[in-house]
Amino acid sequence: MPGEIWMGYLLHHEPSFTVVQSPFTLNGERVFGADSDATTLAVAALLHRLDHDEVSMISVPEGIDGPSLSVATGVALYDHEAEQEAPWEVLMSDEAIVVVSKRDAPVEVPMLEVAIEVEAEFHAAIEQAWDHELSKGHVSQGAYVSRAQYDEAATPRLQLHGQLNGQTVVWPPRFSHVVDGSGSSNMRLQRRGKVLTWTTLSAAGAPSEFSLRAPVLGGVSTVLLQLDDGPNGVFLTVDDEEAILEMEAPMELVFRRLYAQEGFVRYGLKARAIHD
Amino acid sequence: MKCLVLVQEHMVDVAVVGAGQTKYGNHPLGLKGMWAEAAAKAFASVDGDFVADLVEEAYIGSLAFGGSQLGNTAALLTEHSGMDGVAVRRVENACASSGFAFRDAWMAIKSGQADVVVAGGIEKMNDLTPERKRYWLGVSGDTEWERLAGLTFPGTYALMARRYFHEFDSTHDDLVHVSVKNHLHGSKNADAHIQKEVSFEKAAGGFMVADPLTLYDCCPTSDGASCVVLAADHLAHKFTDTPVWVKGAGAASDNLALHDRPSITQLKATQVASSKAYAMAGLEPRQIDVAEVHDCFTIAEVLATEDLGFAQRGEGGRFAREGEGRINEGTTTVNSSGGLKSKGHPLGATGTGQVVEVFKQLRGQVEPNRQVRDAETALTHNVGGSGATCSVHVFGRHR
Repeated sequence: MPGEIWMGYLLHHEPSFTVVQSPFTLNGERVFGADSDATTLAVAALLHRLDHDEVSMISVPEGIDGPSLSVATGVALYDHEAEQEAPWEVLMSDEAIVVVSKRDAPVEVPMLEVAIEVEAEFHAAIEQAWDHELSKGHVSQGAYVSRAQYDEAATPRLQLHGQLNGQTVVWPPRFSHVVDGSGSSNMRLQRRGKVLTWTTLSAAGAPSEFSLRAPVLGGVSTVLLQLDDGPNGVFLTVDDEEAILEMEAPMELVFRRLYAQEGFVRYGLKARAIHD
Repeated sequence: MKCLVLVQEHMVDVAVVGAGQTKYGNHPLGLKGMWAEAAAKAFASVDGDFVADLVEEAYIGSLAFGGSQLGNTAALLTEHSGMDGVAVRRVENACASSGFAFRDAWMAIKSGQADVVVAGGIEKMNDLTPERKRYWLGVSGDTEWERLAGLTFPGTYALMARRYFHEFDSTHDDLVHVSVKNHLHGSKNADAHIQKEVSFEKAAGGFMVADPLTLYDCCPTSDGASCVVLAADHLAHKFTDTPVWVKGAGAASDNLALHDRPSITQLKATQVASSKAYAMAGLEPRQIDVAEVHDCFTIAEVLATEDLGFAQRGEGGRFAREGEGRINEGTTTVNSSGGLKSKGHPLGATGTGQVVEVFKQLRGQVEPNRQVRDAETALTHNVGGSGATCSVHVFGRHR
C-alpha cells in the first residue's frame, strides 16, 4: 500500500481512524525524521481528521505533548476529571507511527511502501543532539526566549492565527491592535505561501538554539514566504534538510520541532515544498 | 508663530571639534583601556586648549558584547578617561548605538542644555570564546520569530540579497565589487581591521556563510572604540579653526523583523532618516562628497547607495559594478575608510567611528592616498539590525 503524503508524512485514512507514519526507516523500522516526534505526527493526523470529522476533545498518552497538540489543532484535551470519556484518542507505537482513532474503534496499521532509509550515523547523531537539548539543564545561549514568551505567542505560531486590521491581514498579531480594538485576532490563516527568498546558513553561523544539530545537518535553511492570505513570515525548512528551494515556489507549513531547552520542546511551523 | 521665530533665532549650531579612535581589530586592551585611548586621541585632536573637565554630557554607544562590564558601563568608562562626574549614559540601538549616541549629543547642544558634549562608542568582541560569541548571533533581530526561524544577520541579509537579485538586474558579482572596493580603501587606512586588498576572484570564491553571501560579503568581528567632541557654535572656534559642522540630522525606525516590511530590498528607516538630514542641511545626495555607509554586509552597501539617493532604485548593483563609489572616481566616494567590511565593525563604536572618518576627510587629515579631493560635504549612515533603526548625519566644512 503506497499511502498518501500528508504534511511530509505517510497517511492512511479510514472512517474510524487515521494512521500517520514517518517516511524514514532504519533497518526496516520506521524512525522519526530530524525534526519529528510522536507529537508532530499526532498533530498531522489530527489536522487531517479535522478535515473530515468534528473532533471536540481527545485524550493523549504519555509521550505526546498534549498542550502543544491542543494549541496547534484547537482540539481540547481530555480532562481526567470529566464524567465522560473523550470520543477520540491518540495511540502510539514503538516505531514512528501514530494513530488518531475514535475511542475503542478497531485499528489495523497498514504496511506502507514508501521508505526512505536514513544513514545510521546521521540518525544517531541527531538523536544524540536532541537528547542533549532535552536535558533539563540545557539552556541555549543567546537571545533567550523564555517559556512564558513562547507560550504567549503559541497560538499565532502553531495555528497561524492572524489579525484582520481593517482590510489588512496582519501576522504575527500586533498588541497595539489588540489594545485599541482595531484588530480581530481570531483569523486562522491558510498554511500555504510562496517563496519570496531563502538562504542556507552555515553551521557556524546558526543561532545557538540550533548549535547542536546544525553541524550534523550541514547548516539550517530558512525561507521568507508570502502567505496566501497576504502577510509574510520566515520559517525553517522541514526535516532541516538542505532543501532545493526556488523563488516563487509554493510551500506549505507543517508542524515540527524547532528546538528544545530546559526539558521542553518548542514546536513551530516549518516550510515544506509542495510537489503536487 | 512669534514664539517659534524666537526659538529659531536662538537655535544653536553644532560642530565636531575633535575626533579619535583606536585601531579596529583584535585590540590588546579591554573596555577601559580602549575607551581611554579613543577619548585621549579625540581630546588631543582638538586644536585649542581642551580638558576633559569641559565636558558636560557624554553618550556612549555599546551593545555590551564582550566579557566585561554589563551594567553602568558608561560611568566606568568616563572614570577611566578623566571625565569624572560628567552626566553620562550608555546608548543601545544595536549596531546603530553610537550613531544615536551622536544624535543625542547633537540634540543636547542643539537644545541649549549643554555646550560641550562627548559622543562615542565601544565594543570588545574578541575576548569571547566561540561558544560565547554565538550568544550574540541574532540578538538584535526579532528574536522570537527570526532567530527561532534560524536567522542571524548573515542569514537576514542573505535573504535580502537573493531577493534583490530576483527583482533587479544584479548578481553576486556586484557584491564582490563592493568587497573589492572597500578592501582597497581599507588597505590604506592605518586604523582598519583588515588592511589588505582582495582580488575579485578571491572575493567571489569565498567560503559560503549564508547563501548567497560568502565570507567576503561579511564584516569582521572587531574590537574598537571611537570618540568625538561636539561643541556649540559660540565655542567651536575657541577649540579649532577648522570645525566640522553638523548640517543635518535624521533618524527613524522600522519593523524589527524583515518579514513585517512591505519591501526587503530597501530600508525605509534609511530613506526617512536621510530625507530629514538632507532637508535640514539643504543639500541633495549628489552634493555629498564622501559618505560612510553601513556596509555590515556588501548587500547593505548596495541598498544604502539607493536609499541614500546616490543611485536610483535598482541601480545600486550598477553603481558598485562601475566603481562609482571608489575614492575620487565618482560623484560620491563611498566608504573611504574601508567601511565596516574592511575597517571593521566593533558594533557600538561604528557610528561615531564613521564620524571620525568624515571629520578627518573634511579637514584633509587622512592618509594622502585615500584623501577625497576637495571634500566639502560628508554623510554618515549607521544602521541597527537589519534596518530597524537608522541615524544619518550630514556634515560640512562650512556652517
